[in-house]
Amino acid sequence: MATQAVQERRAIRQRKNRYRYRDNKTAYWFLLPLVVLLGIFVIWPAIYAGFLSFQDWSFYKDPEFVGLRNYQSVLKDPLFLATIGRGFLFVLMTVPVMLVLAFLFGSLVVSVSRRAASFLKVSIYVPTIISAVIASIIFVLIYNYSGGLLNAFLGVFGIDPIAWIGDPKWALLAIAVPAIWLGMGLTSLIMVAAMVDIPAEYYEAAAMEGANWWQKTAYITIPQMKNVVLYLLITGFVAAIQQFELPLVMTQGGPLDSTTLPNLFIFNHFRNDVNVGYSIAAALLLFVVLGTISALVFKFVNSERLVD
Amino acid sequence: MAVMQETTRIVLAGKEPRSTRRPRSTGGWLIVAGKVILSAVFIIASLFPLAWMVIAGFKSKTEVVETPFQFFPEVWLWQNYAQILADPTFLQTLVWTFFGAVLFTVGSLAVNSLAAYAFARLDFRFKGTIWAIVITTMFIPGMTILLTSFIVVTRLSMLDTLAVLVIPGLASAAMVFFIRQFYLNIPKSLEEAAMLDGCGRWGIFVRIFLPLSKPPFVVMGITAFLAYWNSYVWPILTITSPERFVLQQYLATFRSERSTELGLLMAGSVLAAAPVIILFLIFQRQIIGNIKMAGLK
Repeated sequence: MATQAVQERRAIRQRKNRYRYRDNKTAYWFLLPLVVLLGIFVIWPAIYAGFLSFQDWSFYKDPEFVGLRNYQSVLKDPLFLATIGRGFLFVLMTVPVMLVLAFLFGSLVVSVSRRAASFLKVSIYVPTIISAVIASIIFVLIYNYSGGLLNAFLGVFGIDPIAWIGDPKWALLAIAVPAIWLGMGLTSLIMVAAMVDIPAEYYEAAAMEGANWWQKTAYITIPQMKNVVLYLLITGFVAAIQQFELPLVMTQGGPLDSTTLPNLFIFNHFRNDVNVGYSIAAALLLFVVLGTISALVFKFVNSERLVD
Repeated sequence: MAVMQETTRIVLAGKEPRSTRRPRSTGGWLIVAGKVILSAVFIIASLFPLAWMVIAGFKSKTEVVETPFQFFPEVWLWQNYAQILADPTFLQTLVWTFFGAVLFTVGSLAVNSLAAYAFARLDFRFKGTIWAIVITTMFIPGMTILLTSFIVVTRLSMLDTLAVLVIPGLASAAMVFFIRQFYLNIPKSLEEAAMLDGCGRWGIFVRIFLPLSKPPFVVMGITAFLAYWNSYVWPILTITSPERFVLQQYLATFRSERSTELGLLMAGSVLAAAPVIILFLIFQRQIIGNIKMAGLK
């Protein structure tokens, strides 16, 4: 009796499943190209990277398991640790500036006429579509020591020429500027979109109370934008710390390693060093560090929101 | 590589932005003047470097970084543009890159829209698991898999071919996500009618979904085109024969090997940037209109 009931129920479920998954075959055909391509060129390389990070391996010999040795040598390498510090410095040079400028830009765009707003939005977005290589070419020209635009401009104010990308003191800043230039478009437009989303009634009510622009910004705009700013902060951080195309083209990491950002360090290692495991361990470590920081920032802000 | 750049750019599509604009403050002339100045600063800061590139493209070899500094060229030299266009290698690189970019764009739209349709409309076993895996790939940083991807394409003997530039980046979780979001909003009644007429899943996709897909295809197509057109790191790892160089690789090589011919280099850069700028200006409304942050508040 009991077994019969169980069998019956199983039959019903099977019939249901057959109905539910009636698209099985078709669906797999639709998914086939994506799954195959992702599998070969993304998922397998990711798994393989995890595997190789525990191996002593190069193109010339078979892998040999070495446990955590690659990770140890990465973490003990003062050169790599220095690049991490430099990466943070680069983030500090770019992300806050971008957020402040984008906020200013957003406040401007929502306060002007529709036509002016769309012209502003198009203008700010144009650099986003320019490649890092072309941006590098332009900015290296502007930074040129003896005949560059920047030094000529500063010369008008009696400032002596500066070797922007030749001086370790200035080189990282000189790379931060094109990074901001390239990244401003998306940051600004996300900021604008978020500001447009704030209900107009809030501002009307505030205006009735006689609030000025500063008060409106401090008590309405900024609190309403908290999550968007957080989103931009995290994505900006992740993008900035991974930047390496600009230093690769502009300075090749020099002078004196002053522009060797973490990913450029890993990239150069990969191209010059036969021990691939080291490079991969470094890349994975960076991945872990990035993930942890993103999660921590996220948690911090979330807990703050619970308080107020 | 195209796989890696898009993760930070995922735009959360969804509800339409509020059309109500803030009441414009009718401030005095001081406020108006402030706005005009601020607008000018933003516009100049973002467009000036490009204008500078165009101006430098008209300068002679020695004039570009001449001391004392001169803003405008002595004589506007159209020759730079003519000369770089007459260079068969440049022209070939330009055409080659364009061809690859078109292939890449069409291919990625095909692969990802098929998958997007399956995730939006079909029921199948392991749907949740497969979706989770696909989404996870968005968060793998490019550098982590750059090295092993290189090993993979080496083993597949794809090095130094067009295939190595086009194929590895075709599948993009961000694009699947974006197109799926759009497909979820297409009313089901449309396909039910087609089904009654005996249309299969494939027929529905081709006859109903594809013709409606223009908005997401424009945005994602341009994203893909740009990713290919601007790629530099992956090509310098995988392409070694100068006759197969892509545009960015050509420009960077030109810069290091013929460093004295700056006017020519600038003209080349202008010609390399022009197609994507034109493309952007044509579709600016769609591209900018798609950046919205619904659901993040």
